[in-house]
Amino acid sequence: MRAVGSSIPRLDAWQKVTGEAPFPGDIYLPDMLHMKVLFAGRPHARIRHIDVSRAEQAPGVVAVLTARDVPVNEYGLILPDQPVLCGPGSAKEGADVVRFVGDQVALVIAESEAQAEAALALIDVDYEDLPVVASVEEALRPDAPRVHAHRESNLLHAYRIRRGDIERGFEAADVIVEATFRTGFQEHAYLQPEAGVSYVDEDGRIVVITAGQWVHEDRQQIAHALALPEDRIVVRYVGIGGAFGGREDMSVQIILALAAWRLHQRGIRRPVKIVWSREESIIGHHKRHAMVARARWGATRDGRVVAAQVDLVLDAGAYAYTSTKVLGNATLTCVGPYEIPNVWVDARAVYTNNIPGGAFRGFGAPQGHFVAENMMNRLAEALGMDPVELRERNILREGSILPTQAPVPPGCSMPEVLTRLAEEAGWRRDPEKGWQAPPPLPPGDPCQDPERPCTSLEATPGPRLRGRGLAIAYKNVGFSFGFVDECHATVELHGDAAIERVVVRHAGADVGQGAHTVMAQMAAEVLGVPLDKIELVVSDTAKTENSGSASASRMTFMAGNAIQRAAQEALRLWHEEERPAVGHFRYIPRPTTPYDPETGRSDPNITYGYVGQYVEVEVDPETGHVALTRVISVNDVGKAINPQLIEGQIEGAVSQAFGWAVTEDFRVVEGRPLTDRLSTYLIPTIWDSPLNIQSVILEIPDPQGPFGARGMAEMPFIPLAAAIVAAVRDAIGVWIDELPLTPERVWRALHRPAEREGGT
Amino acid sequence: MKPAPFKYLAPRSLDEALAHLAEHGYDAKPLAGGQSLVPAMNFRLAAPAVLVDLNRVKELFYIRSGDDGGLRIGAMTRQARLERDALIAERAPLIKETMPYVAHPQIRNRGTYGGSLAHADPAAELPAVTIALGGRLRVQSQRGERWVPAEEFFVGLFTTVLEPDELLVEIALPPLPPRTGWAFTEVSRRHGDFALVGAAAVVTLDEAGKCADVRLVYTGVGEGPVVAREAMALLRGEEPTEEAIREAAHKAAQVDVSPIGDIHASADFRRHLADVLGRRALTQAVARARGQAS
Repeated sequence: MRAVGSSIPRLDAWQKVTGEAPFPGDIYLPDMLHMKVLFAGRPHARIRHIDVSRAEQAPGVVAVLTARDVPVNEYGLILPDQPVLCGPGSAKEGADVVRFVGDQVALVIAESEAQAEAALALIDVDYEDLPVVASVEEALRPDAPRVHAHRESNLLHAYRIRRGDIERGFEAADVIVEATFRTGFQEHAYLQPEAGVSYVDEDGRIVVITAGQWVHEDRQQIAHALALPEDRIVVRYVGIGGAFGGREDMSVQIILALAAWRLHQRGIRRPVKIVWSREESIIGHHKRHAMVARARWGATRDGRVVAAQVDLVLDAGAYAYTSTKVLGNATLTCVGPYEIPNVWVDARAVYTNNIPGGAFRGFGAPQGHFVAENMMNRLAEALGMDPVELRERNILREGSILPTQAPVPPGCSMPEVLTRLAEEAGWRRDPEKGWQAPPPLPPGDPCQDPERPCTSLEATPGPRLRGRGLAIAYKNVGFSFGFVDECHATVELHGDAAIERVVVRHAGADVGQGAHTVMAQMAAEVLGVPLDKIELVVSDTAKTENSGSASASRMTFMAGNAIQRAAQEALRLWHEEERPAVGHFRYIPRPTTPYDPETGRSDPNITYGYVGQYVEVEVDPETGHVALTRVISVNDVGKAINPQLIEGQIEGAVSQAFGWAVTEDFRVVEGRPLTDRLSTYLIPTIWDSPLNIQSVILEIPDPQGPFGARGMAEMPFIPLAAAIVAAVRDAIGVWIDELPLTPERVWRALHRPAEREGGT
Repeated sequence: MKPAPFKYLAPRSLDEALAHLAEHGYDAKPLAGGQSLVPAMNFRLAAPAVLVDLNRVKELFYIRSGDDGGLRIGAMTRQARLERDALIAERAPLIKETMPYVAHPQIRNRGTYGGSLAHADPAAELPAVTIALGGRLRVQSQRGERWVPAEEFFVGLFTTVLEPDELLVEIALPPLPPRTGWAFTEVSRRHGDFALVGAAAVVTLDEAGKCADVRLVYTGVGEGPVVAREAMALLRGEEPTEEAIREAAHKAAQVDVSPIGDIHASADFRRHLADVLGRRALTQAVARARGQAS
């Protein structure tokens, strides 16, 4: 059996199912101490004074740490604008201000978790509340209070794209549609809340065992805040328990290292553990950015999109996190996977006192495509043209020029994805009229169809209207906009006459997606050895070199390129009789370039993944209840290294995107989240998710990819929401511009006066 | 979080359980299925000093035929059993129909009929259904026993007529008269969650096809189950035409219910749902009553 292309079970499946797999929360070391964080719990305030004396004397308390104890009191992936601990006494300007409810103010380390928790209440913090910047609209007013006092305004970053002549584009258009879209915050809701253990080892190194997405980045952030060289820090991951971008930024990493280090300096050589509760996790890490976007697009009667104008604002919350990068993606994708001659995009990320916006599966592309794909569906309707036909006439194809005026990288399969999607969904191409939709969905109850089970537990028979919709998307694989990415891998071949054992060293994180299984498969394929000879040494800064982040759908692509070539090198040395034969490779993908600040001109991305989705919904027009009854997801993955893992990614992404689109309503009032637990923030359960997800995997090779593979993990999230909105329109006759599609929002949309007609 | 410390008692008989309640009074809480109480304790919203676990009191687990042809149901009967029991399906089909809406299967495996009533969550289904079925509740203490009509059992948010030393021990449901139909319906944001609004209806027709008796009871639109008296009065003695049902449901939504808004839905929307769901429940109940008549 070939290793690549086989749906072998995940290497960690047995361990995870039986509970053997270690997660950070499961680690108990001898003599361990427990830590709790005092969170600000208020969205904007200056801390005048912190008195920890009562807490220090509380039973079981070993130490209480505040801003004074942090050597370099700042961190941040793209901009060190966040204090590790907020409060007076550190050199960092503005570190005495808390800017969102999840800012960390003090750490209590005690003999037990309960004692640490009890002592939190004994810390006296003297706050001076400051005016709260609750929304991007408020933040952008000229007289708005500033979230970061030393900045000129609340604008964190802006990008623009200027291509062609937008005014002439609109003049040439026969049809123009306009809309304002709003999408909400989304919580990652991974299985395992943040947790970790830290200690100082016999070599004097600070060891942090936790769950993240990039061990070397965590190490760098810790070293910076502690003012220590990186080789004094070891970061190691055990079971991660889901990430989805939510573990890209620091949560417990720095404070764990800080605690172990400060205790060590006081002669206390004991490990420290922290486990966040779900409520702490929800306020303590970032969210998918909420977005507001105004769009105006024009097309000619023959279906050429000639002008696309978008003004888009992301709520960056209190700190930068990865907002500028997310904004970059939204900037590019808000005009969709189309070749449009006249494009005008203004995109801004804005500071507020909300929980920071940051990385979340799709990284700006879901918001961007929500705009673009809604506009395409509305243009199609206004033109009286089939939505597949309109897309095909404008679609990015091999050799197309991107809105940033660079050619799309070779291997663009957007047209093939669209064609396959249309065919799977029953469209037919008429030689004269072009794409033709199948007849309307028959009335009746699709849930009674044994071939298409629904999970909807329906109430009494009320009217249920059916609708269908589709959308497509593309997204970058790997880091963008001039970032110099790299991925190391080392492959060691041990044995004498034959290869008896293979050691693959790679830092990449298996966040639950199965990356380590795929790495072993790719190594086995190149080496021609059975999979059980492969031994992985992974996710440990002491034993592996930088492999980059498990994000941007890059891990298979980057790791595959590195492992493939390291393995080839090892094989070459093996044949030269080296024992052990050790091959190492540092893969550096082709360079990209940042946006030109005036025109947005750039070669933004290494390569792309392509996806298209068709959905059917049922809507109860009296109650506004939306059920997703069928999904077809067509994904070009270049090469399916492990098809079953890819199906898992598709089904998981569909459920998560259904949550974003329909059930998950993250509510914040004046910077205070109202939905800080899973009983109020409603992620879909198996009863709500569609059972009928048809995953169609295309394998059109990416010339840059290992075995032709391209990244795919984020892509099936991206088009779903716009497809659902189109299907709801098809079912009940109204366009809804705001997510999520809660029953009340759908009902209100149905009862809006005089807005029953879409288009212009 | 974990609960505050408490004393745990596990009586093996009703007498023993009642003795514990008499001794500890307000400090004690009976533990039935624990599906509401234990989470409340873990969140430290409840911190009883003493838990009296009823799960070993075998005499409270039963479903049997009543002398009147109705049902006698022990308070500790698991919700999963209500869902699957043949006698329930035959004599109280409204309960069978309602059970899939009550939380998730795992919760119903543990949750009990009596526990749901005594907890008196205003969004819970079983209180409304029990009122709609004209249920009567047997309450016992060392001082004696008393019967409380279900309609009078609930007095407010998470509050019932139970005294601290009293235990709800049995639910008695009368037989359904001939030409009686029933229905339950609800809308929730997510399957298994407490509904935004739910409606239970039971309609008995006379020989002329007019409403001899009507019961319409809501969840989620007040401080407890809400009996839609004005709506019921409109229909009683009348022929339940489509128009009459529409008017009654409208009346219920406008007059009988007093919903409040929360993070999941506004008061306006809940009122609207009371209208829609009341109409649907009544319509189906009438159709079933007519089906029996023919």
